[in-house]
Amino acid sequence: MSISADELAAIRASFQRLLAERGTEADVRRAIASPEGYDAALWRGIGDLGLAGLIAPVADGGAGGGAVELELLMEDAGAALLCAPFLSSVVIAGGLVAGGDDAEDRARLLPRLISGAAVGAVALTGEAGLWTPQDITVRAAEGRLTGVASYVLFGAQADVLLAAAWDAEGPAVYEVAAGATGLTITPLKTFDLTQPMAKIAFEGVEARRIAGPEALARTLDLGRIALAGEQAGAARRIFEITLDYLRTRVQFGRPIGGFQAMKHMAADLLIEVENATSAARHAASAVAQGAPNAQVMVNLAAFACADAFSQTAATAVQMHGGIAFTWDHPAHLYLRRARADARLFGASDLYRDRYLAALEAVDA
Amino acid sequence: MRDEDLIAEVRAFLNTHWDAKKKRPKAGGGAKEFRHRVLEAGFAVPSWTAEWFGRNLAADQARLIEREFAAVAAYGAGQDKTNLFANTILAAGTDALKREVLQGLLTSEIDSCLLYSEPGAGSDLAAVRTRADRTADGWVVQGQKVWTSGARTAQYALLLARTDWDVPKHQGLSFFYMPMKQPGVDVRPLHQITGDSHFNEVFLDGAVVPEANLLGNENGGWKVLQTALAYERLVMGEGAGERRQGSGKDNRKSLIQMARSAGRLGDPVLRQKIAQALAYRQLNDLNLARAKAEMAQGTASPIMSLGKLAMSRILHGDAAVMADILGAASLLDGEENPESADMNYRALNAYMTSIGGGTDQIQRNIIAERVLGLPREIEVDRDLPFRDSRAVKG
Repeated sequence: MSISADELAAIRASFQRLLAERGTEADVRRAIASPEGYDAALWRGIGDLGLAGLIAPVADGGAGGGAVELELLMEDAGAALLCAPFLSSVVIAGGLVAGGDDAEDRARLLPRLISGAAVGAVALTGEAGLWTPQDITVRAAEGRLTGVASYVLFGAQADVLLAAAWDAEGPAVYEVAAGATGLTITPLKTFDLTQPMAKIAFEGVEARRIAGPEALARTLDLGRIALAGEQAGAARRIFEITLDYLRTRVQFGRPIGGFQAMKHMAADLLIEVENATSAARHAASAVAQGAPNAQVMVNLAAFACADAFSQTAATAVQMHGGIAFTWDHPAHLYLRRARADARLFGASDLYRDRYLAALEAVDA
Repeated sequence: MRDEDLIAEVRAFLNTHWDAKKKRPKAGGGAKEFRHRVLEAGFAVPSWTAEWFGRNLAADQARLIEREFAAVAAYGAGQDKTNLFANTILAAGTDALKREVLQGLLTSEIDSCLLYSEPGAGSDLAAVRTRADRTADGWVVQGQKVWTSGARTAQYALLLARTDWDVPKHQGLSFFYMPMKQPGVDVRPLHQITGDSHFNEVFLDGAVVPEANLLGNENGGWKVLQTALAYERLVMGEGAGERRQGSGKDNRKSLIQMARSAGRLGDPVLRQKIAQALAYRQLNDLNLARAKAEMAQGTASPIMSLGKLAMSRILHGDAAVMADILGAASLLDGEENPESADMNYRALNAYMTSIGGGTDQIQRNIIAERVLGLPREIEVDRDLPFRDSRAVKG
């Protein structure tokens, strides 16, 4: 690890400052109504702070951070409902390019991703949206891709477009030019307003292989940790917003937080929020240390954080009552993000099963 | 003292006195003798002062000692964190009492029990009606207690009793360390839903508590009680409540193993339930680990207060999944059906954690008020002289 504890604290403080100044609820609302579909100014700010290079190797011009640093920053990103392609571009696309085999590809693509000048997107799943290798329907043959991918984060905004595609080795990673012939990118109307998605059809699109199955698997684990951190941070923030309301909203002559019905819901949510934070952070350190139970921890974090954020955001609406049924209240923005995040790399059921399989493997 | 010097000292001590392979004191030394050595070395309560068996160590260094002991499964260390009786007496006892009992408590030669709950004071513990009246010979106690584990063997009890009836309920309570082996203390086993008799009823009729055994101030008992309760909940949150009383049985038998031997580990519905049950347990462990790390750095952690509530869900959930794995066999019981009997026992015994030491509902109130800062419950008798409250008048 090349980032010291002091450096990490400074990086995190600068990110938090940026989010406090330019990632407010008003900024989120402006971003989701914008033609870009994300907060371009905030994304530039992230680039200016050098954060788009957080996990890129130092040799490639990045900061050399790993899972632990990434997870912590994602907690802040989640809390603010970050409307920028951090997960898509910095974590997945950047991770795949950095993990790729070819020095020329790295030299060509990484500087633009690290500076934030380019938005990276990666097509990872098919139209069934299961995020399993079997669900990848794109095939690579003779340097061309054919098939359909969907639910591609920032697919319509991408400058650097990658796709998981089957070749002789398994699911590998290919790069296609954003305006290539045979490529049809259709923006999707999504329930979550903060993360744009697209469907992408490949009809014999010229493509260049940049990474193999191992780099894909490794990067997806990093993506799961980043997402878990985002969920943990977002769950905590909507929980805090709810607590503030419980302390200040007066009915029947007293703050509603004084009623046991509310207290008991709040106490149960605190367990969920703390579970999510513990799961995300332990998964990050297990992967960073190459611990033997890393797969157990990554899969645990994947469903525990998804479920915690979903439950916290959903319950927060109920606890607020009528005010959270209005568009102007932020609770639904968290609920929408929670529901998208809970399926982004596959559903909780998938990860529960994989967690059990990983435990069986560790036990055996 | 440097960490590495401390670790070297602890390892040298354990090398000399503890057989790590056989997990017992080395030849020639019994458990009692070993506990005395641990105490003399200052490892029993390292964060306490030297005056009282400690070494004035900071919490993080004290934990190092614990870790070394745990690594070789040796006992006796880390009691500054877990021994609720010793901690309560250190915090609130008179010097005379400390001299009399602390050593015995820390070497496990003195057993103690808890005389808190009463038939009329369960969740509303401040409504106890057992009375203690001051006389020339000490405090004379009259009343009835319930849910007392270990009462038959205990030499002492932490006793909550009313010493002033003319003030509101929290303000008229005192806390005592009462000798149990005396006339006026009658212990009767309680038959529980599991079939066990782990708990007792304790009838107090003229039992005497020496003046030196008052903990804290007269009528200041509620505050001292909170210290003792916090230790109890901490220990329960780490899963102590699931150790089957009176047997060395390991209750953490793997659900995976159970499903595998039932030939049902491939059932996708069961897999989901097993994974979720194991996840709740692992998440609680991760929370505790994070809380300990945060506290070692000097940050107060709210997580420690969540453990008991989380453990309730874990224990009830484990038993429910086991019943699902066993299927129709879960209808059976008794020695000829050991897996079912074990599951049934767990299903019922889980209530010990979800009711004992404060019900889940009381725990949620406490978390909401003390951790989350939500407004306190309204108590209609809070400012009423106890004598005039419905606890007394009915």
